[in-house]
This record gives sequence, C-alpha cells and structure tokens, in this order.
Amino acid sequence: KLNTGVDTVQHGVEGLMYLLTESSNLMISETDFQDSIRVLGFSDELNKLLLQLYLDNRKEIRSILSELAPKLPSYHSLEWRLDVQLASRSLRQQIKPAVTLKLHLNHNEDLTAQVLQTDPSTLLHLIQQLEQALGEMKTSHCRRIARNMK
Amino acid sequence: QRFRFCGDLDCPDWVLAEISVLARISSVKLKLICAQVLRELLGEAIDYEKILKLTLDAKLESGDVKATIAVLDFILSNAAKHNVDGESLSSELQQLGLPKEHATGLCRSYEEKQSSLQDSLRACSLRLSSLDSVSWRVDYTLSSSELQEVGEPLVHLLLHVRRQDHGSTEPVPMAVSADKFRVLLAELKQAQALMKTLL
Repeated sequence: KLNTGVDTVQHGVEGLMYLLTESSNLMISETDFQDSIRVLGFSDELNKLLLQLYLDNRKEIRSILSELAPKLPSYHSLEWRLDVQLASRSLRQQIKPAVTLKLHLNHNEDLTAQVLQTDPSTLLHLIQQLEQALGEMKTSHCRRIARNMK
Repeated sequence: QRFRFCGDLDCPDWVLAEISVLARISSVKLKLICAQVLRELLGEAIDYEKILKLTLDAKLESGDVKATIAVLDFILSNAAKHNVDGESLSSELQQLGLPKEHATGLCRSYEEKQSSLQDSLRACSLRLSSLDSVSWRVDYTLSSSELQEVGEPLVHLLLHVRRQDHGSTEPVPMAVSADKFRVLLAELKQAQALMKTLL
C-alpha cells in the first residue's frame, strides 16, 4: 500500500520505535524533541505530528519500559508450623520447640519455595529486626527523602 | 476492638464493609450460600451458578457476589482456624453489624461442619514429606566374590516417600543386614511406644 520495499518499511518502523523509546526514556522536553528531529529535514507538518505522537504516548511507553527492569524474587506467601521435639534416638525426655517455615517466592511468574527452620529465640530476633526495619521508615531521615521524592 | 475469629486482632476493613453487603441477602439464602462456600472449603467444587441465582434478589453486582464468597470464606476458615465456637462467632458477627437471623443461620451451618473443616485444615498444614508405603523382601546370601560361604539373611526395604510439592512418590531403596535390622526395629518400636503415650 505504501509502494515501498519491505526493508524500507521495517527500517521506518524500527526508526520510529527507537525515536519514541529513547525520547520517553530520557523524558526530553518538547523543545529538545523538536530541535532533535529538525536535523532530519522533514516537513513542518511531519515534525508537528511526530511531536504529538511523542507527547501522547510517552506516559504509556514509560510504564511499559519500567516493567522491563530486572526484578528480584518477590514475596508470595509464607506457610509455617510449630513443632516440639519430645525425644530422639539419643535422648529421651526433651522439650525442644522448633518453627518450620516455607517461604513461597515469585520470580517472573516462576514460583519457588525455600524451607527454613528456626528455634523460638531466633524467630523473636528475626521479628525484632524486621520491626526495626519497618520503624526506619518513620525516622526523620527517611521521611525527608520520601518527601523530596514526591 | 479485638475479635477471636480474626485471631485476637482487629477485623480487617474489607471484611467490615462486606458484612453490610451480606445483610442485604435474606437470611435463608445466606445460609444456602454458606453451605456452598463450606463445600468448597472442604475440597468439593463450588456451584457458582447456584450462588448467582441465590443473590439475584439482593441485586448484587458481579463484583459483590465474588466479595460475598470471599468474606464468607474468610469468616468460616478463620473461625475454624482459631477454634471459635458457633455462639461466640455469632455474637462477634452481630457486633460487626450482621443482623441476628443472618448470624444465627451462618453459625448453625458453621457448627455442623466445624470439625470437618478443622480436619481438612489440619491435612493441608505445612508438611515437608510423608511416608506413602513400605515394601520389603528378605534374601539369603549364599556366596560372594569375597567369601565362598556367606550364609546370611539380608533385608531389602523400599520406602515410598511423597514430597508435598510434587505429589508423586519417590522410591528410597536400602539393604539392611540382620543385626542392623534388629536394632532399627527395636528403636522404631520405642518411638512408637512414645507416640502412643501422647495420643
């Protein structure tokens, strides 16, 4: 329909893609965008069209680009059980509590599980550390940074 | 305020919001919907069409129907988890704004199925592996490359272990000499006696 070869059309599409993704990536201003494409020597009308295309779509392109960043495994769920060891082959009359945890993680739609075991005092220490970490969010230092990010 | 069926914690906001939706359904229909949710919790299939029919009168949107199922799931499974009896559950739900008839009907359905629910929850508790079955065979070794006359019995054991994540069984074979096997059997019998004292 465009009366040009397949290669030309492909290169055209790829060129447009590159122009839009790089511009959205760097969040360049209108004037910078206009200056950049002026070098290409297109007509004024085409330049205006390209600018409009960029402004209309950059938010969506940015949200798609943000999903392409590498992700660490994220928390999915946690199963736990509390057991008490009462006797073993070597020693009878024991009371040894243990907590078994199965941590389910989600890594790019891949579900994996890690099995861990701990005694109650280590578990309490773990809880303390996590509560401290949560508490950090409320310190003035963190609050200042969070305020500046907005 | 703390609620037993929430594990002695505050009731989540979404549960509070959905309880007011539950009040819009008639108490008779609510009891029937409860029965369906209980079936699903016990591992049977849920009849979604039936629930849609039961909620027609209350003129709920599709999102509300799903939320109704979700809140009933939460209430029933958490009540079973924390071993709340029917009467306490009924009074706690009424405190949260569920009308008396609705609460009574719901709790009656719950009480009927409480022990089955708890059995089912116990069965799906975290477990790393379980012994599926044991097969054995006793051989008598006549001779070997090391010694011409061996003349000893040998027990072959095959333990079928089921891993919780895979669902298939893994065979664990082993050969045990007569003496070792006697020790193994004695130790296992002692462990069994200990287990009996706890039951």
